[in-house]
Amino acid sequence: MATTITKTETFVGKRIRRKEDPRLITGTATYVDDIQMPGMHYAAILRSPHAAARILAIRTDAALRHPGVVAVFTGKDVEGIGPVPCGASLPGLRVPYHSVLARDRVYFVGHPVAVVVARDRYIARDALDWIEVDYEPLPAVADPEKALEPGAPAVHPEWPDNIAFTYHQEAGDVDKAFAEADVVVKQRIVSQRLIPTALETRGVVADWRSGEKSLTIYSSTQIPHLMRTLVAQALGLPENRLRVVAPEVGGGFGSKLNVYAEEILMGFVAMKIGKPIKWIESRRENFLCTIHGRGHVDYFEIAGKRDGTILGLKLKLIQDLGAYHQLLTPAIPTLSVLMMPGIYRFRNIRAEVIGVFTNCVPTDAYRGAGRPEATHGIERMVDMLAAEIGMDPAEIRFKNFVRPDEFPYATPTGLSYDTGNYATALEKAMEVAGYHQLREEQKKARQEGRLFGIGISTYGEICAFGPSPATPAGGWESATVRVEPTGKVTVLTGSSPHGQGQETTFAQLVCDELGVDIDDVVVQHGDTAMVPYGIGTFGSRATAVGGTAVYFALQALKEKIKKFGATLLDSDDVSFSGGVCICNKTGRTVSLAEIAAASYRAAKLPPGTEPGLVSTYFWEPPNFTFPFGAHIVVTEVDRETGAVEIKRYVAVDDCGKVINPLLVEGQVHGGVAQGLGQALYEQAVYDDNGQLVTGELMDYAIPKATMVPRIETDRTETPTPVNPLGIKGVGEAGTIACSPAVVNSVVDALSPLGVRHIDMPLVPEKLWRLIQKGGQA
Amino acid sequence: MIPQNFTYQAPKTLEEALALLADGTAKPLAGGMSLIPLMKLRLAAPERIVDLGRIPGLNYIREEDGKIRIGAMTTHYEIETSPLLRARCPLLATTAAHIGDMQVRNVGTIGGSLAHADPAADYPAALLALEAEVRLVRAGGERTLPIRDFFVDVFTTALEPGEIVREVVVPVEAPGTGTSYQKVAHPASGFAVVGIAARVRRGDGKIALARLGVTGLASKPFRADAAEKRLEGTDGAETDLRAAAAAVTEGVEANSDLYASAEYRAHLARVYAVRGLRSALQAA
Amino acid sequence: MKISGSYTLPAAPERTYALLQDPEALAASMPGCRELVRTAEDEYEMKMNVVISSIQGLFAGKIRVADKEFPARFRLLVEGDGKIGFLKGEGVLTLSPADGATEVHYDGEVQVGGMIAGVGQRLLDATAKYLIKRFFEKMAARVEQPS
Ligand SMILES: Cc1cc2nc3c(=O)[nH]c(=O)nc-3n(C[C@H](O)[C@H](O)[C@H](O)COP(=O)(O)OP(=O)(O)OC[C@H]3O[C@@H](n4cnc5c(N)ncnc54)[C@H](O)[C@@H]3O)c2cc1C
Repeated sequence: MATTITKTETFVGKRIRRKEDPRLITGTATYVDDIQMPGMHYAAILRSPHAAARILAIRTDAALRHPGVVAVFTGKDVEGIGPVPCGASLPGLRVPYHSVLARDRVYFVGHPVAVVVARDRYIARDALDWIEVDYEPLPAVADPEKALEPGAPAVHPEWPDNIAFTYHQEAGDVDKAFAEADVVVKQRIVSQRLIPTALETRGVVADWRSGEKSLTIYSSTQIPHLMRTLVAQALGLPENRLRVVAPEVGGGFGSKLNVYAEEILMGFVAMKIGKPIKWIESRRENFLCTIHGRGHVDYFEIAGKRDGTILGLKLKLIQDLGAYHQLLTPAIPTLSVLMMPGIYRFRNIRAEVIGVFTNCVPTDAYRGAGRPEATHGIERMVDMLAAEIGMDPAEIRFKNFVRPDEFPYATPTGLSYDTGNYATALEKAMEVAGYHQLREEQKKARQEGRLFGIGISTYGEICAFGPSPATPAGGWESATVRVEPTGKVTVLTGSSPHGQGQETTFAQLVCDELGVDIDDVVVQHGDTAMVPYGIGTFGSRATAVGGTAVYFALQALKEKIKKFGATLLDSDDVSFSGGVCICNKTGRTVSLAEIAAASYRAAKLPPGTEPGLVSTYFWEPPNFTFPFGAHIVVTEVDRETGAVEIKRYVAVDDCGKVINPLLVEGQVHGGVAQGLGQALYEQAVYDDNGQLVTGELMDYAIPKATMVPRIETDRTETPTPVNPLGIKGVGEAGTIACSPAVVNSVVDALSPLGVRHIDMPLVPEKLWRLIQKGGQA
Repeated sequence: MIPQNFTYQAPKTLEEALALLADGTAKPLAGGMSLIPLMKLRLAAPERIVDLGRIPGLNYIREEDGKIRIGAMTTHYEIETSPLLRARCPLLATTAAHIGDMQVRNVGTIGGSLAHADPAADYPAALLALEAEVRLVRAGGERTLPIRDFFVDVFTTALEPGEIVREVVVPVEAPGTGTSYQKVAHPASGFAVVGIAARVRRGDGKIALARLGVTGLASKPFRADAAEKRLEGTDGAETDLRAAAAAVTEGVEANSDLYASAEYRAHLARVYAVRGLRSALQAA
Repeated sequence: MKISGSYTLPAAPERTYALLQDPEALAASMPGCRELVRTAEDEYEMKMNVVISSIQGLFAGKIRVADKEFPARFRLLVEGDGKIGFLKGEGVLTLSPADGATEVHYDGEVQVGGMIAGVGQRLLDATAKYLIKRFFEKMAARVEQPS
């Protein structure tokens, strides 16, 4: 045997640059729209300009007369397929039939009415203008509270109250808590509708091979396997004849954690015309037809003692569902209820959820999905209580935190928090920010008449979705690790990423376990024909669940490597580390590549061992994980204009063990940017008639790089026992923590004027009006 | 986002272009930063496009007889970074730096911006404060207009069918002139919610010249004459600036949209007029 | 969107009132009006090609006049539909004498939908004002012609 060098370099915990970035930043990655196939046809979708209307007639003959137009399908052609699936269930949930194309009625602006199939995408687009639809416009309702008023237009005529479900959760003795309270603070808080705005819009390519009776769907999705199951059902196709591929996916933020009409529709079209078909969503369609996020009106009441003890919380949550249930629509507000207590010890809680239909595009999971709304609510209410009793917002939090010795902590909403050290995170954030000096600075600023604010949010979140009994479609994840005959390593993961960087983090895990180099590992994902069934990437689960599956697959593989190593070294006492197997008696070694070659050559198999070095593991997590942290934001409001300046942004996050600090910080940066978007800029505005008037990026303001302040990141590290890696997840933390910190800060800045609460987004005119009023008062 | 079919023509000379445009049925194309988005949304559907981009000699910034001439096809970026403008007419260069983002500035042109006449475009404020002139040409003729006669209303200018912007002429600043462009940018589009170009000169300790160009506030950009008059002859004290700024919105019907009501826009215009004048005076 | 304003037309209220409901005068004054056909008492169908610089939209629509109180006020109901969107508006025009001329005050509400609602909100207000101004300017020019 040749002498082999043991690798001592480790990768986990290091700032490794992302393996996927070179192709992404040089334009050589393959997205759905980059796929070209011989004979490919193109689809364009005619969409309703009305929020509510009866379809009286559709005339397609003018379009069909054009030689480039191959087919036009309308609602009556697709009666045999669908519906668009809803995966969530709640007792008594009303589920409107969500047909793939509108039948006799449209329910929101953008509702698909017809699909044109043409030789090229230009003709397809032109043909939309040649289709005539006679609509009889009907009254629409776009505001969830107005939809609940008696006499409001019924979104679905069969349910005139517009209520899709109600949901009640209660723990402790809420009435007693409120009766015993020294103070009760009430506030209506809106978490406005947001448009997820992934950089890559959605897109679908469908390819039907009639000879093989098999369909391949390429879709920009976060969940290729779930899509395969659900689209196969919707099309009545055996699931083993459908392959779903998620090629490069340019962001999703939850908006691609879904099965949309278009995936089913393109599958149908491909099978009808016998040619590959492509549909690429325009930005305008993306705004109108891809799910929106948030959309809450929350009525909170918090009860407390003068000493700062929180006694209880009441919430009436009105969820704007939109016109239909997409995959998880009705489930999202229930997550808000679960996380309502935040990281505080009080036990008395009552939540009433009303899911309301409106003539708008459905809401569903958007980065944070239910938790930003909950965190915004509790963090605002805690601040309001503190203001009411004249206590420092940091102090009231320290007083009410769940304590480190109370874990695992059973929450009144039925969760079991794994680990936490909330006070330490807040102390750290206060230290980084220089909290006490900042308060001094604030005093001075106020004397000068400046509007200077300091805001804290201490959040807890629920991640690593999740144990299967608690999730609609299974909460485990799969991984396959394969050492190829040459010693190179391939990882297959069911957590198909869309920008998160699993190709790097999972490779780091492999490197340390197998002693290979980062360039020797390829992580593959997103193709149901290649990867064992998996669940997907969402809910900050990829590394905590998918990464753990990789870890367990590696453990099994290492056992096998040792067996082959022992056979090759002719020893019964070997160990494997740093990429070599060593005989503990003689010191002789054999490298992983040699072992791999021998395992496939299979000339001498260890007893009871299969050839090859492949290991597959399906890991079921025993619990969620519960990351936490503290963000502190310093703002100053321009007294003359109401404009907000973020002067400092301090983020201390605890996501358990960190595999790659660079990626963790990247997730925090991106999350905070989206949180700032909600806090300061973004709002999907529907007018009274259900027209989306922020229908383009010219009007809907997502934060640009120049609008995001420097973010001072730091962290504490409290591992979770839920998985052997100790990791919790960080994909949504920044978004969840950010908006309450910003709003608390701006409310603090305006508090000398008597301001107690402001709803997002904190646009300058709104603040200017408050300042004007304060000046007069 | 696919435009309707159109015929594309790319003449190599100005004469050829003017001939192609003469009947008024074609649209000139410059940087395409405004025209192409409209076409993609099918809000504009010209049947014929005449691309001015292949015509040599429309892209320049040069000084002649105490004036600076800027060709219609000069990009925002070239104006922003022109050493000549930075030294001799800095207001225009600093204003250009406020337009959109880097990509837009690299491609969009001053001629296109003026012809498009978006009521929230940045250049008009500066050009009004500079009392610029625009030279217009059409097949067989040309004319020069003072900038304030060029803007008519929303998206509407004095350009006749078949006529194009040939060049923009701005003065070389006299010593002692201070200028400033102050803008509230819309967080989504980047366009001016309000934009104020201020230009002042002192003489004998008093304000000898005051010019204020206003964009974004109303349906067309305008010179705030009343404000200018109120300021000229004063000491330029803070109270003078405030009094002048108050006049900026007098009698003006302010625009309103989702982001800023008419009332708030008018307020912003007054606040930014003070800020603009203050910073122009500091630079004077 | 609420729309209100006023414009003074150089004719007495009686004549102004008549002109503002005269199909020919309306057709000539409405920006881009290509065709205006009377379909019933106080009801018209029209075709418009509204052009504002590069922006262009073909609309087919209906106009209805109601609540007539000669020569002081009437209600105008307008509906238009085209590829780039649709609009529906209703307003009251109040005419009051002003030194031999008439001040026409309009106060109404317009709903827009489709593309123009989705991408146009930043400029709708200014554009609407502009179109109304163009209408009244043309009307004024017409009023000045001897009848
Ligand atoms: C994302 C984005 C952000 C922007 N932000 C801003 C901003 O903050 N401030 C701002 O001021 N602008 C902004 N703009 C607009 C930008 O400045 C455009 O470049 C400018 O309005 C048009 O110039 P263009 O050369 O691209 O003209 P084009 O788009 O090619 O043409 C515009 C119009 O002018 C006509 N035209 C072009 N050249 C001539 C000519 N020489 N003579 C006669 N007619 C002509 C065309 O027919 C067309 O009708 C933004 C644009 C984008 C896309």
